[in-house]
Amino acid sequence: MAIVVNLDVMMAKRKMSLNELSEKVEITLANLSNLKTGKAKAIRFSTLDAICKALDCQPADILEYSKK
Amino acid sequence: MEIKITITTKQILAVLQVISWILFLGLAVEAGGVICSVAYIMLTENGANNSWLGPELGRLYQADAGYFLAVTSYVCITSTFKALLFYLIVKILYEQKINMEQPFNRSLGNLISNMSYLSLGIGLFASGGVRYVKWLTKNGAALSDVAYSYLDGAHVWLFMGVILLVIGQIFKRGIEIQEEHELTV
Repeated sequence: MAIVVNLDVMMAKRKMSLNELSEKVEITLANLSNLKTGKAKAIRFSTLDAICKALDCQPADILEYSKK
Repeated sequence: MEIKITITTKQILAVLQVISWILFLGLAVEAGGVICSVAYIMLTENGANNSWLGPELGRLYQADAGYFLAVTSYVCITSTFKALLFYLIVKILYEQKINMEQPFNRSLGNLISNMSYLSLGIGLFASGGVRYVKWLTKNGAALSDVAYSYLDGAHVWLFMGVILLVIGQIFKRGIEIQEEHELTV
């Protein structure tokens, strides 16, 4: 897929672990891990909203379109 | 006084499992009996007169072994396919791969596809067998309803095969949608 998820970059900037983020966003660790590793096929707006709130960032900081 | 009877899916599946086992055992015995009878007729001297398949097929063997083999091949293949079909159903029910929370899984999808191919196979071979028996009867062979009884209902099997093929394609799409839903965060 051409959409790249840069969640780990943002988590490193905010010094937040996957466990902490999953508790704040109320998503299971497995789902968050799928998102981080690029296995997820889709993301709900509500989830994106919760992640951006937790990491204090914009969607463009997490999602990137790569032509490769 | 009102009596409400609620039947759960589990109970229905349990009943279906029992019925499938009974049908599978019956069809397996029939298929085995047909194959053993064919071997008995061909390998023993008096086999043609005393076989389970009836005296007509025994007389056909004595008249021409080739015609006999052709008719019995059709009968053996359709009987074996029928037993295989119910074996697949028994296997999926026994392994409890029917999960009502996530019904669209690959094993069920494969089951439906395999069932459609087997049904089509039964229909095609039964139809071919009936035509062959009719041709033999036209050309003087005295075959009673014995052969027809193993080969009848070809159109029903073909219909079921086509319906299952369509359902299989819809099921495959359901599996794709479910897998996408599982990977939606």
